[in-house]
Amino acid sequence: MNLTETKFKRLKHLINRFYNLDKTIILILLALATINIFVQYSANDKVAGRIINDIAYLGVSFGILIIVANINLNQIKNWTVPLYIISILCLIAVLVVGVRVNGAKRWLNLGIRIQPSEICKLSVPLILAYFYSYKNILVKGLDYIYGLLLILIPFALIAKQPDLGTGILVLAAGFFVLFFVGLPWRVIIFGLVILLASTPLIWHHLHDYQQHRLLTLLNPQSDPLGKGYHIIQGMIAIGSGGLYGQGYLKGTQVHLDFIPEKHTDFVITVVAEEFGYIGVCVILLLYLALIIRCLMIMRDAPDIFTRVIAGSITMSFTLYILINMGMVAGVLPVVGVPLPFISYGGTATIILMIQFGIMLAIAKRNKY
Amino acid sequence: MKNSRLIAAYSFITFTFGVLFLRYGYLQLINHTQLLQQSINNYSSIVATQPVRGQIVDRNGVVLANNDASYVLAALPKYLKGSQKQLFESLSKYVNITTLDKKKFYATKNNSKNYDWVVIKDDLSDKEIASVTSHAYEFPELSVFARIKRNYPFDELYSHSIGYVGRISQKDKQKIKNQDYVSNDYIGKSGIEQYYESTLRGHLGKKSIKTDANGNEVGLIDNTAATDGQTLHLTIDNKLQKLAWNLLGDNNGAIVVIDPNDGGVLAFVSKPGYNPNWFIDGISLDDWGDLMNDPKKPLLNRGAQGTYPPGSTFKPFLALTALFLGVLTPSSTVYDPGYYVIPGSSHRFRDSEKVARGTVNLMDAITYSSDTYFYKLGLDLGIDRADDVMPMFGFGKKTGVDLPIEDSGLLPSREWKAKHFRDDYQKNWQAADSVVFGIGQGLNHYTPLQMAFATTIIANEGKVITPHFFKNTTDKNNVLIESYIINSHMLPIPNTYFKFIKSAMQNVVLKGTAHGISGGLQYTMAGKTGTAQVVAMNKDNRSAKFQGKQYKDHAWFTAFAPVDKPKIAIAVIVEHAGFGAASAAPIARKLFDYYLLGEYAVVAHKPNDAADTNDQLEYSDANQSNVESGE
Repeated sequence: MNLTETKFKRLKHLINRFYNLDKTIILILLALATINIFVQYSANDKVAGRIINDIAYLGVSFGILIIVANINLNQIKNWTVPLYIISILCLIAVLVVGVRVNGAKRWLNLGIRIQPSEICKLSVPLILAYFYSYKNILVKGLDYIYGLLLILIPFALIAKQPDLGTGILVLAAGFFVLFFVGLPWRVIIFGLVILLASTPLIWHHLHDYQQHRLLTLLNPQSDPLGKGYHIIQGMIAIGSGGLYGQGYLKGTQVHLDFIPEKHTDFVITVVAEEFGYIGVCVILLLYLALIIRCLMIMRDAPDIFTRVIAGSITMSFTLYILINMGMVAGVLPVVGVPLPFISYGGTATIILMIQFGIMLAIAKRNKY
Repeated sequence: MKNSRLIAAYSFITFTFGVLFLRYGYLQLINHTQLLQQSINNYSSIVATQPVRGQIVDRNGVVLANNDASYVLAALPKYLKGSQKQLFESLSKYVNITTLDKKKFYATKNNSKNYDWVVIKDDLSDKEIASVTSHAYEFPELSVFARIKRNYPFDELYSHSIGYVGRISQKDKQKIKNQDYVSNDYIGKSGIEQYYESTLRGHLGKKSIKTDANGNEVGLIDNTAATDGQTLHLTIDNKLQKLAWNLLGDNNGAIVVIDPNDGGVLAFVSKPGYNPNWFIDGISLDDWGDLMNDPKKPLLNRGAQGTYPPGSTFKPFLALTALFLGVLTPSSTVYDPGYYVIPGSSHRFRDSEKVARGTVNLMDAITYSSDTYFYKLGLDLGIDRADDVMPMFGFGKKTGVDLPIEDSGLLPSREWKAKHFRDDYQKNWQAADSVVFGIGQGLNHYTPLQMAFATTIIANEGKVITPHFFKNTTDKNNVLIESYIINSHMLPIPNTYFKFIKSAMQNVVLKGTAHGISGGLQYTMAGKTGTAQVVAMNKDNRSAKFQGKQYKDHAWFTAFAPVDKPKIAIAVIVEHAGFGAASAAPIARKLFDYYLLGEYAVVAHKPNDAADTNDQLEYSDANQSNVESGE
């Protein structure tokens, strides 16, 4: 009797932990997860094993989400420095003993394959937020230099792999923190001017395949069966969907193998071809709702650390969407960035769930 | 947090979603139709299913052009990436691949789509089939299969009438503007094959298949079966054609036989011919060069494109014209001293037979082919009046026969002469021109087809029927689809004049210039002999330079029978055979005997006339140079 009572209490406690979380975010995430399952079923050509894997992955992700959401924020603060150091060490390890796939060393094989650059999307904004949260007065010039160093070290290591896509995301995540702690506009504008001025230099240092991607973006028809192929086929799939789409599981571009990586980076083509513009709009509106909710959480966050972290996560999330969907629709270069919550598994999904877990933890502190 | 940071954040979000909503809207709503079409093009491939080309048969059902199975070695272009040098090298162990084969291969490959098989080697021998198929594992990209190929069982017999099919060229494609062909299809290139292309070809079937990105077939979208071509029945009588061919022996020449009742061409011989089977898959350059440079000009369609001065065969038509216009009456006489002198001049136009016939009437002038009578008639009639009336008999006009190319010959006129001569004297039409025109020499020249056609007009007493090869078409089950509709009209010339001319021509055979063929004649026959001058000079004035056979005149004979109810009309020309009576007329008699009595003449092969095949043979007659221009 006593035992069952304890069990019941524990269960109730667990349910409470779930119920205490921000319902808007949870509902939107559940909606996106449902869409994920349907879209992945189509994108994986109805292969049962892969769908079970996908659902399991989602389950684990949501577990992580709940756990992180219930961690005390002060505890998170304590972990930022070790996490940052571990991520830097992992990046160095990747360069030394990393697994090489398609000419790039991006993965560490630790029983399961992990991608340390993904961890940096978390560790870099965290350490910056932690660093600036100790500045009670306004942040001064030298602090920005330190912050910049904290960003550029992992960025350089990631760019060396090479993985420019993730590198830019890490850079952006760090930049968003600097931005929200008040990096002066003149510095931002100055930085942008420097960036534009050094474009030729950067171009020179890009790898051949990166130069190719940029060139094919400018004119995909120049190489319709080579580098431009992905972009062209992606746009055909999107356009052929029209307003209502071809119907679920009926997309010819998707099911006849014209779309590469249709279950990961190009997953939006499945939605666009089979559910049309309406399907795309539903997903965009869910994202938008999520982002607006996150901005509200950021606005009400109690201290600099939480506010800046919430801002960085929200802006990074917006950037993921822009880069992925812009790339598939042919307005941005082909960069390997998955579409949040819709693409199949990967380290990126876990990191995303941790980010939203932190977001939920902040929301809980806000006591909505 | 400062407000400006939040505004910036909202701006970035607005920008992101603005770009994405607009971009996806642009692709999915505005560019939808175009991108959907691209998507359809991506997965659908159209495979053509070939119709079976219609057979061509003679009036009795003898097959003149049919379809045989031929084994070909072919490849799908989508598997042929990069150079085929290696492939040809390893293949050469099993199959004899010539440079011509390679050339043809590259030519078809370059303009074929993914699903059109490109032929590597045609007409594989049994041995080649065996060795290629047993080593098939070495060549996964290749395939051996049976294909239907055109075959002309009578070789050169019908080269100038039926013609041949060949591979469709870029030029053909532009010309026909028709999507009913695939890149390596056959198309009628000459003769009846070309003229009746759409009837013979049928329609391409289209099988639309669904393929994945790697080109693998995953489903069928649509299948329209091919419509086979119709069987084309010609008015040709194969036996008559063969007999006519054989009767020409080793001579060059042409024979056109027409049924005057319906205009159907019974035989159409142009000798020498060429083997149309050589052209089907592209003739080799060597063979083409041989044909082009052959002094006998086998590529020239003498029947419909070779033009010759009509000589005395022109006389009945001139007489008809003069009678019609009232220039003379059947009883008009002329004094014939064996030559004619234009009043006021001294030049003697000699009669070719150098006989003084005394007073000659029109009947005898035709019967015995008096040149003097017709010299005078030519001058009396004058070229202008001749030009008004003679096109009624088809002179200087195309007959309208169902062949893609025919020559209209030349009925000269003042305008023509003014246009084609530079010399001030020659620019003007001279009295002498009219005189020579009177005996069918000089500037005028016509095709054997035109002469045969004109002869049917006399045979029919003024009824003009367009000559044609088309009898009818049937489907596979021999059910009639389309019959020829006769196209005819009556000339305004009184019947009595035709009857008069017909009896004069009957006299030609009975007692006149062609009486040599009248022995044992069991039906009535009318005809007219003629000689087409090769060198414009009277025989007795010829220098030693013009003594070879190549300078001998061409022999003409036009005829029809029976005289009252004609069933057959003919024009025969035998090149360099001298008088028409001796060489051309007997051919007509034998053909008539066969056609009217069923007596098939056995033709003995004479040994070659040595001078005839002389390689330095030259044609002085510029009118014959219009050789078919080839591909």
